[in-house]
Amino acid sequence: MANDSRTRTTRTALAALAALAAGSLALTACTGTDSDPGPGPGGKDAAVQQKAVPLGDEAASRGPAPEVPGASGGGTVRVHQDADYDHLDPAQIYTADGGLIASLYTRQLTTYTTDEKGRKVLVGDLATDSGTPSDGGRTWTFTLKDGIRFEDGTPITSADVRHTIERMYAPFVTDGPSYVQQWLSGDGTDYRKALPDGPYEGDHLPDDVLETPDGKTVVLHFRSPQPDAPFALAMPAYGVVPKAKDTREKYDAAPLSAGPYRIASFKPGRSMELVRNKHWDADTDPYRHQYVDGFDITFNHSDEDSTKRLLADTGEAETALSFTNGVDPLQTRKALGDPDARERLVQGYQPYVWQMNMNMDRIKDKRVRDAITHALPNRRILTLNGGAYAGEVAGGLLAPTVPGHEKDFDPYGKLAEPDGDPQRARKLLKQAGKEGMRLVYAYSNDEIRQRQSVVVADALEKAGFDVQRKELDAGTWYSQLRKVDNGYDIYMTSWAQDWPSASTVIPPLFDGTQIQDGASNYSHVDDEHVNSEIRRIGAITDPVKATKEWSRLHRYIVEEINPAAPISYTRQIQLHGSRIGGARYSDTLNYIDPTRLYVVKG
Amino acid sequence: MLRFLVRRTLGAAAVLLLISAFTFFLFFSIPQDPALLACGKNCTADAVALIHRNLGLDDPVPLQYAAFMTGIVTGREFAAGPCPAPCFGYSFANDRPVFETLADRFPTTASLTVGGAVVFLAVGLGAGMIAAARRGTATDKVVSSVSLVLSSMQIYFLGPVVLGVLVYGTGLLPSPSYVPLTEDPAGWFTGLLIPWCVMAVIFTANYTRMARSTLIEQLQEDHVRTARAKGMPGRTVFFRYAWRGSLIPIVTIFGMDLGSLFGGAMITEFTFGLAGLGRLAVDSVIDIDLPMIMGVMLFSSALILLCNIVVDAAYALIDPRVRLDAGSSA
Amino acid sequence: MSSPTEAAASVPSPLPPAPSPPPPPGPVTGRSPGRLMRRRFRRDRTGVVSACVVVLFFAVGLLAPVISWLYGKDPYTLYGQEQPGLLDPFGFPAGPLGGVSGEHWFGLEPGLGRDVFMQLVYGIRTSLLIALAVTVATTLTAIAVGVTAGYLGGRTDYWLGRLMDFLLGFPSQLFFVAFMPVVVALFVDPREETPTWIRVTALVLVLWFLGWTGLGRLLRGQVLALREREFVEAAKVSGASPWRIVRKELLPNLVTPVLVQFTYMLPGVVTAQAGLSYLGVGLVEPTPDWGRMFATAGEVYENDPAYLFFPGTAMVVFVVCFNLLGDSLRDAFDPRTGR
Repeated sequence: MANDSRTRTTRTALAALAALAAGSLALTACTGTDSDPGPGPGGKDAAVQQKAVPLGDEAASRGPAPEVPGASGGGTVRVHQDADYDHLDPAQIYTADGGLIASLYTRQLTTYTTDEKGRKVLVGDLATDSGTPSDGGRTWTFTLKDGIRFEDGTPITSADVRHTIERMYAPFVTDGPSYVQQWLSGDGTDYRKALPDGPYEGDHLPDDVLETPDGKTVVLHFRSPQPDAPFALAMPAYGVVPKAKDTREKYDAAPLSAGPYRIASFKPGRSMELVRNKHWDADTDPYRHQYVDGFDITFNHSDEDSTKRLLADTGEAETALSFTNGVDPLQTRKALGDPDARERLVQGYQPYVWQMNMNMDRIKDKRVRDAITHALPNRRILTLNGGAYAGEVAGGLLAPTVPGHEKDFDPYGKLAEPDGDPQRARKLLKQAGKEGMRLVYAYSNDEIRQRQSVVVADALEKAGFDVQRKELDAGTWYSQLRKVDNGYDIYMTSWAQDWPSASTVIPPLFDGTQIQDGASNYSHVDDEHVNSEIRRIGAITDPVKATKEWSRLHRYIVEEINPAAPISYTRQIQLHGSRIGGARYSDTLNYIDPTRLYVVKG
Repeated sequence: MLRFLVRRTLGAAAVLLLISAFTFFLFFSIPQDPALLACGKNCTADAVALIHRNLGLDDPVPLQYAAFMTGIVTGREFAAGPCPAPCFGYSFANDRPVFETLADRFPTTASLTVGGAVVFLAVGLGAGMIAAARRGTATDKVVSSVSLVLSSMQIYFLGPVVLGVLVYGTGLLPSPSYVPLTEDPAGWFTGLLIPWCVMAVIFTANYTRMARSTLIEQLQEDHVRTARAKGMPGRTVFFRYAWRGSLIPIVTIFGMDLGSLFGGAMITEFTFGLAGLGRLAVDSVIDIDLPMIMGVMLFSSALILLCNIVVDAAYALIDPRVRLDAGSSA
Repeated sequence: MSSPTEAAASVPSPLPPAPSPPPPPGPVTGRSPGRLMRRRFRRDRTGVVSACVVVLFFAVGLLAPVISWLYGKDPYTLYGQEQPGLLDPFGFPAGPLGGVSGEHWFGLEPGLGRDVFMQLVYGIRTSLLIALAVTVATTLTAIAVGVTAGYLGGRTDYWLGRLMDFLLGFPSQLFFVAFMPVVVALFVDPREETPTWIRVTALVLVLWFLGWTGLGRLLRGQVLALREREFVEAAKVSGASPWRIVRKELLPNLVTPVLVQFTYMLPGVVTAQAGLSYLGVGLVEPTPDWGRMFATAGEVYENDPAYLFFPGTAMVVFVVCFNLLGDSLRDAFDPRTGR
């Protein structure tokens, strides 16, 4: 273990932690893949990415998944991971690294499949299809497949699905998402009142909320139409938990598998071993494979360490990869320069959009916000974040992974002037009569953000601001910003969609009715048009139409309100050993897809 | 001896109590809500309140302190589950029992410390002895000046240099890592060799200089000179008399070094990416993970105090003239 | 001072086996001990050379703005960002040796592209300022406590001894790391920019808090021994006030160990403070800081070894010279020890 040299582990871990505190590492899904390790930053911007993800029918949801070309069975994959998993209990999983490991051992009602061209479909996983809406989208009915079992051989029934949802009301479940619970039982944390102890004291949700008329049918009655229900249910947090084997908070250390692999051993902070789950039936699973015998995971490998091992590609590193470590930014040059290593790169967009939030309670003049936006040196900030290959300059606030993203949308000319336009900013500031304005700029106190603060402050001062920097503890950074009265003018945050729809981006970030402590409307946008549009578009059941409307609202927000200066879209580059086959970037997992890996016979 | 041990242990316990109170109250005086750290993505005001209740953060600070301290002895019941003694609480950051994490990290730190200590004691004392025996010669001068320069090195400078040359430049050694000795003895050894040596380089010099000067002093003592005058062979004189006399100051410093290294060699662990107590300490400070900070602080302090007691007891074994009951604190 | 390198060795550990009190000032020969000492020191070539280097370092720190003016660069401008071509697309200096050139003598900082020479000069200035403050505060406290405990004895001595036990029980480096953020948080309104001076003050406070115990203990021992000496007895009998005895009889005799320890302590503080910055709890951007340079260097040394080389070499030279100076001073004061 602990194989890196130096501090990178901690600091990257910290950065991850900071992001995690806000949950900006949220799980997500999105369209399109970009497995071509293109030479330059950016790579291909697949056109399919802007389309809504279609809902699959029964045929699309049927297993087995199409064979990976060239795949063969057998062999163990070595996995170098940085941080240990915070949670293994599906109900508590909300981070991308947790979602990735969960894809091997849990199954939800729904999941995504991606074809060789990168087209994504939302299909039934445990359910026979992506669900049947009725009552205008208020009610969703799912039928379970035959032959689905837990690792102990017991069949998965509707009672287990009911239990899976009800246990998320229990007090010990604090970290997972709450979309489904809120839609069923109440906003905010009110839903918990519907079932204060979860299902553990004999209480259950009433039939008009959650109904299981027979062993195969699950009916969800939402309080209002929820066209996105199948997407929410595809989140790993809704992975099925066996009613009979639920150990409550202890389940976090030893969950039962329903997927192709089960956890044979887990030593927190050290290692984890996944082996084949013999009760998993490929014929029931439209998405996952079971080529390799198992995964041998060790923790405490920094990006630097895992990259070095994989670049060397000797011994066990030939059959190794990291699920979530990226290529160390400092070694990107080497990885791209080495033709052998370039073959082994996998890359794609991540769902995170970095933005400089401007606190609209304090900066009320749009000209000032525009001045800040023009002044910011996006490319310099991005380079310090992990080099030119860690992302690309953003023109808007919707990630390329969100349907509705527009590639050429760039109202503030950030793509043309990636290092900022201080003259223009100065002019705007002068027009606003705010030259020399005091700007309290908060940043998370870790190494990267500290360095970024230098270029940000430098650029803003050149544009005529008086910048006050305030460093905040990295561990509680997002929590501090989530106070309405946080007292800061600008702060850089990142956000990611929870599933491929702007409905998990625009409402949480820009809904003015949701401004309260702990909420994620960091810029405190409260605009009547935006608020009413959010309500209106949220009720549209046709995903194609909704996507178009979200896209239009996004334009309005960026152009007319400008609550947050777009900084950058994030990309991930990963490396794998030479005897790993089937490696492909997954933009539902935001990393290499582990379910299709095989070991090339050596 | 027994009386000494009891008295010193009580004293150490008192110091530990003070340290714990000091740390606890200072950390609670900062305007920062620890619940924010334990709060996930849906961190609403309600969620914060829930965590407050779960962790008992609503009680007055002295009450929380009392609960924390009794928990160490008796264990505690949290809303999230029981925490058996010795219970240092649950980490705010990762929700695991603090003690479990401490126990998990300690073997790394202990391996680092013990291995490093073997190297720096052997090399340091050896070099010091040679220098003392060859006092005034070129050998002595070389040893003394080399040890001076080496002792002026810093791990955060020397570490990257060594890594750059031996690991990444030439590939002579694997990059540092920790695997448990019980699992893979060879891997344990090769993985820690670089950290041991770099750490030793920095510590060795102290021991060389000290061994040299105390030995020279001892060689001039009357009883040593008498023994030599009586025709006892130089080697015997050196090892039987002079050596023994110079042990006390060395043992003192060694005890202090060992105590603080066991508590976490932060810079070494940082430089070589080893996840021991030192790294844990830095991480939990940055996270304001109070239970973890308390745990590491108490654990490290206890080790320091323990080493002090052992050192004092060792005096009596080395030098029968030392009487333990005669009060030894100054 | 504690932990120069690792959480080890409070007080530059091998306290030179000095505790034998120096000879009392007495009219033995025509030359005063001070003059004798100065003569001996001047004959020690290593001592003189290292004293010169030490003075040079202080001069660099003190005259940093002048150097900046002469050199025509400052430590804050992002040269590499402003002039295209100085940094490659990966953020590393484009030229050889970390971008060393006639313009930028020590090259450029990877990423931000600031001038390394200026960073180092100003970093040395920051470090020396802090180290000097800590060492002075520490020494004064140690003298006050050591003399009080040693001279008064009895209960005072007992309780001061227990206080030192308590402080020595702290794992020193962990203490620095843990309490640095606490002290900063106590001083600052969370909504305002933390002024640099508060961070500096916090650093000084934290390093001082544990730093004085070693020397305090040493001085207490010396005072305890001196107290029994004839000249102090004589002064007592002649009815001198305690204050006068302390001032006229005790303090002059403590000058030697204090000065020697001071010399050993200062580089210890410099490296400890740099260690804190290295661990990420010291000064923050944009204040130039020697220790933070190591943190950056540790990340980039493979791609840009020059960035590790310059601050590293400077620090080794600095510490070696300070230690040599300490040895020479000790030998000059008390020729029996040492070689």
